[in-house]
Amino acid sequence: MSRNAGAGRAYVRPMRGWWRRNPFFVRYMLREATAVAVAVYAIVLATGVVRLAQGEASWNGWLEALRSPWSLLMHLVLLAAMIVHAKSWFEIMPKTMPMIFIGGRRLAAATITRTGWGATIAVSVALFALALVFSR
Amino acid sequence: MSESATTIRIDVLRYRPEQEDEPVWQSYIVPYADDMSVLQALQHVKDEQDGTLGFRWSCRMAICGSCGMMVNGKPALSCKTFLRDLQPGPVRIEALAHFPIERDLIVSVDPFVRKLEGIKPYLVPRKPRSLADGEYLQTPAELERYEQFASCINCMLCYAACPQYGLDPGFTGPGVLALLHRYNADSRDGGRAERMQIVNAEEGVWACTAVGYCSEVCPKHVDPANAVNQNKVNSATDYFLRFLSPRGGRT
Amino acid sequence: METFDADVVIVGAGGAGLRAAIAVAEADPALVVALVSKVYPMRSHTVAAEGGAAAVTQANDSLEAHFHDTVAGGDWLCEQDVVEYFVAHAHEEMVQMEHWGCPWSRKADGHVNVRAFGGMKIERTWFAADKSGFHMLHTLFQTSIRYPAIRRFDEHFCVDLVVEDGRVQGVVAVEIASGDFRLIRAAAVIIATGGAGRVFRENTNGGIVTGDGMALAYRHGVPLRDMEFVQYHPTCMPGTGLLFTEACRGEGGFLLNKDGYRYLQDYGLGPAEPSPRNKAMELGPRDRLSQAYWHEQQKGRTIRGPHGECVHLDLRHLGEAKLRERLPQIYELALEYLGVDPATAPIPVLPAVHYTMGGILADGSTASPLAGLYSVGECSSVGIHGANRLGSNSLTELIVFGKVAGVEAASYARSVPKLRATGAIGTLAEESRRRALSVATREGGGERIATLRREMAQSMEEGCGIYRTGAAMQATCDKLAQLKERYKRLHVDDRSKGWNTEWLLGIELGYLLDVAQAMTHSALERRESRGSHQRLDGFGERDDANFLRHSLAWYAGDAPPRVTYGPVKITRSPPGRRAYGAAGEQAEAAAHNVQASVDV
Repeated sequence: MSRNAGAGRAYVRPMRGWWRRNPFFVRYMLREATAVAVAVYAIVLATGVVRLAQGEASWNGWLEALRSPWSLLMHLVLLAAMIVHAKSWFEIMPKTMPMIFIGGRRLAAATITRTGWGATIAVSVALFALALVFSR
Repeated sequence: MSESATTIRIDVLRYRPEQEDEPVWQSYIVPYADDMSVLQALQHVKDEQDGTLGFRWSCRMAICGSCGMMVNGKPALSCKTFLRDLQPGPVRIEALAHFPIERDLIVSVDPFVRKLEGIKPYLVPRKPRSLADGEYLQTPAELERYEQFASCINCMLCYAACPQYGLDPGFTGPGVLALLHRYNADSRDGGRAERMQIVNAEEGVWACTAVGYCSEVCPKHVDPANAVNQNKVNSATDYFLRFLSPRGGRT
Repeated sequence: METFDADVVIVGAGGAGLRAAIAVAEADPALVVALVSKVYPMRSHTVAAEGGAAAVTQANDSLEAHFHDTVAGGDWLCEQDVVEYFVAHAHEEMVQMEHWGCPWSRKADGHVNVRAFGGMKIERTWFAADKSGFHMLHTLFQTSIRYPAIRRFDEHFCVDLVVEDGRVQGVVAVEIASGDFRLIRAAAVIIATGGAGRVFRENTNGGIVTGDGMALAYRHGVPLRDMEFVQYHPTCMPGTGLLFTEACRGEGGFLLNKDGYRYLQDYGLGPAEPSPRNKAMELGPRDRLSQAYWHEQQKGRTIRGPHGECVHLDLRHLGEAKLRERLPQIYELALEYLGVDPATAPIPVLPAVHYTMGGILADGSTASPLAGLYSVGECSSVGIHGANRLGSNSLTELIVFGKVAGVEAASYARSVPKLRATGAIGTLAEESRRRALSVATREGGGERIATLRREMAQSMEEGCGIYRTGAAMQATCDKLAQLKERYKRLHVDDRSKGWNTEWLLGIELGYLLDVAQAMTHSALERRESRGSHQRLDGFGERDDANFLRHSLAWYAGDAPPRVTYGPVKITRSPPGRRAYGAAGEQAEAAAHNVQASVDV
């Protein structure tokens, strides 16, 4: 099939600033940005492992640094970001999965999201309880 | 909702390449009624005020896919978008985002159609069957696996919603990948291996970053985001299986 | 003018055009098929058809039954040999659609499901949810992509046929985006441009259903047959005219007047029973249902709404679950366009124009009297619908006769000598271009397209409504003649070359006016009532002696069309009474007894 370019030129609109034009895109960019928070926290934890390997003095130094007010503030921000991260990923998770049928009925997206949350909360509670037990 | 509203203002992004180099906004006042659609408002302008206004439409019932455009910055079908939800106005109407504008509210559709043609969007029968043998058997459960993806009306709202497509028009895109998945998921089809090449390509599923807005705007609840993203697993599996078997992938 | 050479040109890429294109490509892959459409194929109005496609499927069904239902439904104005062919080939074509991937709704055992439909004795309507036309169209379009022989000319508006030496030689089309004209030469041309419902004010049709191909053939001396028969679909949305599928009634919906009464039982379609019964009540034929509405309106028993009088389509007793499963599109339509939830409230509906039974004269092989010209689908009158079409026969028509048209056109194209490029054809094409351009460049004109279109549509509703009188039809004839005069002073705002959609609307208006004239004059001449053509002026009965004949409308330029008559082919079903409801069952039982006594 042939088609001429038309009597004039087709106009291509610029994409600059695209994500600011729609609240959906702003939320998407926020979701993507939380990956940075995950990376930062991974570095914090990795640093902890390195410090542990370097001996007791180093380890205690790292724990001391974690207790500083700036560190606490950073951890609060990181925690908030991780929660947004988890929320937005659990929302998109059903989109990554093929249709699941249980007893002839199709599994709803909301069920998958809730299962993700349920598992997260259960594991978090279990880990927290474990941490409490071992800290005695 | 204002009871006294008898008119509403609509601002349309006009573009007449024979007259101007760049699009320009133009305002119109149209009569308002409770059940009027944006399409009816545009038809009123064209019929009574300005015959030069160009826009595509046909069925008026959200099944032909002609009338996609941006209404107040969101991709929508003009025949199914009602003025009562856009009060008090003005309503901003422009051509579908991420597509070159040919004229007023008319965008270039050809690239989309070519992509659609390129994915083998037809049944490649798994087993041959003569007409005399009657229909292939397919249970309601098997039909359910692909029916929603077969409901795409090719309106391209998902392309207007997809920033990755906007940034790289080479991306195969949500609608076409959903159609590809429709055939892969059809129990009668055996052409999956032939279509994997398109799935696996960088401009295939891997250009998608799961923004998810495409599924949000789809007027037929096709859920293209699901079609694309579940195929990332298939694509990865296909890639690794290639190391295990000489021909690689699944048939 | 740029020229493209093909073997077959198909104008219109809806269900019929696509099926024909595939048939040509399969008949001979060496042939070049040019598929010309003013819209991308998936926008064709086939896409809006909802209910389904009929084909004899169940063990308790028979070709005989489908044949009789169709002929009786058509009030015996059908070409019976063509109907015989149609019912015999329906199932095979439906299976072909399934093999091509059409997602037909299924029974639990995996076989295709069938449902009841108006005027059909036994369930035989194949369906794909409530989007049968959509799925058929997309299946055909996507399948057509497999054939490299099919060269598509998307968004190319056909402005004329090229006829030279008593044969068709191709078409002239405008590439809409650029405004450039193209001459596409071919020995065979298949017209598949759909109906002309847009001549009426309230209709179910999309904006593109403007009788283009009908007008083009008509202007080149091909008669339009049975144009007076226009189907009013009984259940449409007030205001827009959008369709609520017959399947609503097949699934068990009721039609109620303002007293909540199932009024159809007063019109020979009863008795009223709680569940749907074939050929009775809400499953009676469309013309009867639309006529019943008209009578209720005369009696003041319809419901006054913001867009005029209506009745209620009650689906509440089906329950939300079944509605969402079987009629999902209807659910959304009612909810979003009317704000009505069908699970809890009845839907206001009224009859609106839906289908054009008449069209380009076509014989059983879809050939017209003009050598090389074929027509298929709603634009053609191949002879299966007669005076009233049964629901779900037309989607089947597209594929049965789409194939026939393709095969015949391919065979014809191979049989005639290859066209030579002649100066005469080039000159004719230039003439077509000049004529088309002149629509947009009339100086001193003051008539707006929309004004003429509105006046035409209003007049057609008054003169060619569900019930007609000689006086009203004559008034419409006069009005149309006047509008054709005013059309010569058309004013078009748009002066651009590329994407001049207003100019094309002007050309479409010309097509509409010509087709409207053919409809109205044919209606005026038919002094009887049959099927969907019902008169109140003393010609209220069927008159087989004088009018068991097809009308033929012949183009006469500025003068009104000439109407002549042609014979109806009767083979196995002599004209009888159309009986539905209890009367229908009695008639069938009596016929059965007669048969039994004959067999003894």
